[in-house]
Amino acid sequence: MNVSESKVIPVSAPLPAKAAARVAPGTQPATALVLRILRGREGWLFLAGLLLLWQLASTHLHLSSKYLFPTPWVTLRALWVSLPELLKGTVSSFIILVPAYLLAVFAGIAWGLLVGTTPALHRMFAAFARLASPVPPTVYIPYAIALLPTFRTAAGFVVFIGVFWPVFLNTTSGAAALPQRYRDNARILGLKKGEYLWRIVFPAALPHIFSGMNVGLVFSFIMLTVAELFGASAGLGRFVQYYADYADYPRMVAGILYTGLVVLLAIELLERLKKRALFWVK
Amino acid sequence: MSQAITAAPEITLGRTDYGLILQQVSFEYAGVRILEDVHLAIPAGQFVCLLGPSGCGKTTLLRLIAGLETPAAGAITSHGESVTGPSLERGVVFQDYSLFPWMSLRENVSLAIAKARPAMTQAERQIQAEEYLQLVGLQDAWRKYPGELSGGMQQRGAIARTLALGSPVLLMDEPFGALDPVNRVKLQDLLLAIWSGSERKKTVVFVTHDVEEAIYLGDRIIMLGAAPGRIIDDITVDFPRPRARHALLDSREFQALRGRVAAKFHEDLIRRLEAETAIHGVAEGI
Ligand SMILES: Nc1ncnc2c1ncn2[C@@H]1O[C@H](COP(=O)(O)OP(=O)(O)OP(=O)(O)O)[C@@H](O)[C@H]1O
Ligand SMILES: [Mg+2]
Repeated sequence: MNVSESKVIPVSAPLPAKAAARVAPGTQPATALVLRILRGREGWLFLAGLLLLWQLASTHLHLSSKYLFPTPWVTLRALWVSLPELLKGTVSSFIILVPAYLLAVFAGIAWGLLVGTTPALHRMFAAFARLASPVPPTVYIPYAIALLPTFRTAAGFVVFIGVFWPVFLNTTSGAAALPQRYRDNARILGLKKGEYLWRIVFPAALPHIFSGMNVGLVFSFIMLTVAELFGASAGLGRFVQYYADYADYPRMVAGILYTGLVVLLAIELLERLKKRALFWVK
Repeated sequence: MSQAITAAPEITLGRTDYGLILQQVSFEYAGVRILEDVHLAIPAGQFVCLLGPSGCGKTTLLRLIAGLETPAAGAITSHGESVTGPSLERGVVFQDYSLFPWMSLRENVSLAIAKARPAMTQAERQIQAEEYLQLVGLQDAWRKYPGELSGGMQQRGAIARTLALGSPVLLMDEPFGALDPVNRVKLQDLLLAIWSGSERKKTVVFVTHDVEEAIYLGDRIIMLGAAPGRIIDDITVDFPRPRARHALLDSREFQALRGRVAAKFHEDLIRRLEAETAIHGVAEGI
């Protein structure tokens, strides 16, 4: 088994940690050292490889204009010079995104806890939720822009919808999955509905709620940047759209990279919050 | 020393000098009969131990008394009042000692105190919570969360929480099951002290698998048989109190009692085995 394994696995395939350890003694000490240093940093290695590929592709593949496919260096310079504009765009985007996201999270949790613990309410609302939740919120954008007084309220509304459903649905299922023994304990202690929801059902459902908030966070950026393509005067999505229209591709690519970075940071922040809130989960 | 199996059928529901009265209580889960005709009158202040094989319905009986389940037939009263749902009058220690894992030990206990004594300030509650934790030997762990505690520590925490309710009726489902012998002995004596120490003795229903524990603690032992669960013996334990553990365990009366319990279990087991063979016999005939 051991022998055949080390023979069959091609060198380029990602080695499982155990197999790598078994291979190491047989190989050169230098190779073993490199392998040991790389363990746990494979993600960075992949990114570095990607960057190299990008560099090579943009310099050696004369597929199209070099303006359409800027080198990493050119993109980095574009990122640097547009940083002030990008920061302004971030502020403009966040003025819409943050309140809409927080409001949707709050509404989704509150309504989800109520619906998840009240069978009559659940029966009443379930059919509507099944109908309305799968509608991609992007389809509301043109209508929301037409209907609501300002672009900000329209974009906020669409973000709200995009965040509300995943948070609501996850909260509901989390509340419904409350282990019987916690329910029994709450009944023995004579907790009132409000206390019961806040002190028992809410914390018990938190793992579900956080996965809803995570999906909602990614959704909120999608909703917002798409909405900004329609009619914003500033913002991250608007930035990308604007420079694409003027064929300034280095700036456009820089805008995409920057947006990805902002989303990554937001997700990381939520992850930290989750770790703190769920310290009691084993 | 012992009395008839049928527990005083003349006692009517609603008598206030009785802590608990169960009249012809039956219960089913999804059409399967779990408990049949359980008829039991427990005077206020009596310490009753419930013995029976695994799966015979001890937990179910406790849940019925607690008001977490409703009997399929029959009725239950507690201190004269009909049991229709859970109440702070009847504190429960569950078999799976389910403390809330997102609250520290002190928060768990202080939540119970907040419900039982709403007039207290938060600071008073916390002090009292620490006192209850000290009772069960967890004074140094009040900050800890259930996930950081051993099974035995969680069980003691759950006991502290229920004691903190100060209920006149205590329903305890194998509360000392996960404890080491030293803590077990300590908590048995703590329970006895709390039971007899309060101005009005508490009524206790205590589930255990341990015959010695039942005899040491109880005024009375109710034995349940399995499939369906029903009372197969009702034994009065009239050793004087306070009981000296070692002298008691060595006494001839104790040995006799233990023999009686074992014989009853055996009898019930044989009856069930015979019933099974009878079914198999029929099946072979087909
Ligand atoms: N929620 C439930 N749904 C269906 N059947 C159940 C349920 N809870 C318990 N039962 C059944 O009822 C019977 C009695 O269960 P119970 O938990 O009361 O037993 P027990 O005497 O407490 O056992 P143990 O000593 O193992 O704790 C068992 O046969 C069990 O399978
Ligand atoms: Mg049980």
